[in-house]
Amino acid sequence: MLREYIPLLMLMGFVVVNGAAFVLLSLLLSNRRPTTVKGTPYESGMPPLGSARERFSVKFYLIAMMFIVFDLEAVFMIPWAQAFRRLGLFGLVEMGVFILILAVGYVYMWKRGALEWE
Amino acid sequence: MGVIATPEPGAGAIVSQVSPNWLTTRVDFLVNWARSNSLWPMPFGTACCAIEFMAAAASRYDIARFGMERMSFSPRQADVLLCAGRLPFKLAPVIRRIYDQMPQPKWVISMGACASSGGIFDNYAMVQGIDTVVPVDVYVPGCPPRPEGLLYGILLLQKKIRGETLADPSIRMERSLDEHGLCMAPERIDELSEPFGNSLHQTRSA
Amino acid sequence: MNPSAGALQRQFGAAVRRVTESCGDTIVTIAPERIREILAWLKNTPEHAYNYLVDVTAVEYRDAERPLEVVYELFALGRKVGLRVKAQLPKDAPLEVDSVVPLWAGADWLEREVYDMFGITFRGHPDLRRILMWETYAEGYPLRKDFPLRGRFSRSEQVRQALNANPEAHYSLEELGIAEAYHELPPDMRERLARGERGRIPDATGGP
Repeated sequence: MLREYIPLLMLMGFVVVNGAAFVLLSLLLSNRRPTTVKGTPYESGMPPLGSARERFSVKFYLIAMMFIVFDLEAVFMIPWAQAFRRLGLFGLVEMGVFILILAVGYVYMWKRGALEWE
Repeated sequence: MGVIATPEPGAGAIVSQVSPNWLTTRVDFLVNWARSNSLWPMPFGTACCAIEFMAAAASRYDIARFGMERMSFSPRQADVLLCAGRLPFKLAPVIRRIYDQMPQPKWVISMGACASSGGIFDNYAMVQGIDTVVPVDVYVPGCPPRPEGLLYGILLLQKKIRGETLADPSIRMERSLDEHGLCMAPERIDELSEPFGNSLHQTRSA
Repeated sequence: MNPSAGALQRQFGAAVRRVTESCGDTIVTIAPERIREILAWLKNTPEHAYNYLVDVTAVEYRDAERPLEVVYELFALGRKVGLRVKAQLPKDAPLEVDSVVPLWAGADWLEREVYDMFGITFRGHPDLRRILMWETYAEGYPLRKDFPLRGRFSRSEQVRQALNANPEAHYSLEELGIAEAYHELPPDMRERLARGERGRIPDATGGP
């Protein structure tokens, strides 16, 4: 059964070698002519103003975190949907409990205002 | 003037150390073909010539047949700086910096009379030709040049690129501003900026 | 003839030196010392109410003995009536008038343009500096009649000065909108900003 994965391994190997070859070849064959002005950040031709490290809102982090949680929930639901008939009632109840636990978390988030952007 | 003569690692060094032979010419041919047929322009359009450039980029005249439909508004991904329109002195450091920020290989097309020589604006505010600020490869005259004129200029640039060789490192050398902040000798700038033609017949104060 | 002209003459008497009409526009020439007072009256009086300052500009005539004129183009939006107010500045005296920025905020850049092109200073202007030419432009005032068309310096000198003009060294912190992030700026930039005469450097507590 494992023999079916050999083409996948070959593909992975090819991808890695390809990527490495691109990087290596460009390192070897490229001409580097750095100057001070060339290295400065591009700001429409003006000398750059301020640092690029700006503080941005923590809401982005919150959105990313919520996405991961509910995306993984969806990921767990997919194989369950695939094997739905074989799992029968037990599987349904089990998945219901799983979704219920996550739904409690969802309601908590909603009430705490994490779904509001402003 | 202010030449950066850093040693170049890479293909250029390899080819320039080998004596030119049939193989290096084949490499040159390949590289120049690739470069000339995918010149990504950086449109530095300031005035009316930019409209004609847009017309050249549109469907009737279509610079996409030359591989130039992908405009790059960042100098980092651009091959050719296309200055279309007049350049005020206030904008001169901007174009110089943008030119400096473009990685090699880079070329400059000066489109229109104002970019090539100051055009009708022979006054206190306008640069009399961008070649006093950045090195220019192709000048396209006209006020504004027709799209066909710009296409001819692009074809000339392609021809120029096809004549380049990796064996000559001085072509692709970075030339930055010298200690006075100029890219060529002041006498040369004055010479290039001298009034000519109808400007000589003006009766106003010189 | 705009009735405001007659009303001005009745209100201010000798300060209104001349009233003319040209191509349908009424032009009132007034004494430059009383500009702010007269324009404030024109703006604030309800029956005139010139609430829109269309333009501030200046004229220098070809005859050298004629004085410079500062021209205010006013418009009453409610009544859709315009008025042109001129003030003559003789060339043998310093070229100064009062700024009308307290009356119309739009006069800010308009007066900066007049200063840049003619050298007329506006007393009380919050930020009088060049606007069309770069701030360290040293050749003079371009639209004056004694300014040569091609400028006073050689072309190479003009290119050199243009390439070395560093515009951001002269911005104020407020203009850059980064006053609150001052402490996070790189040190060379903080130093550049500290040298600008209009920058207010926040103290260590972080407040401006």
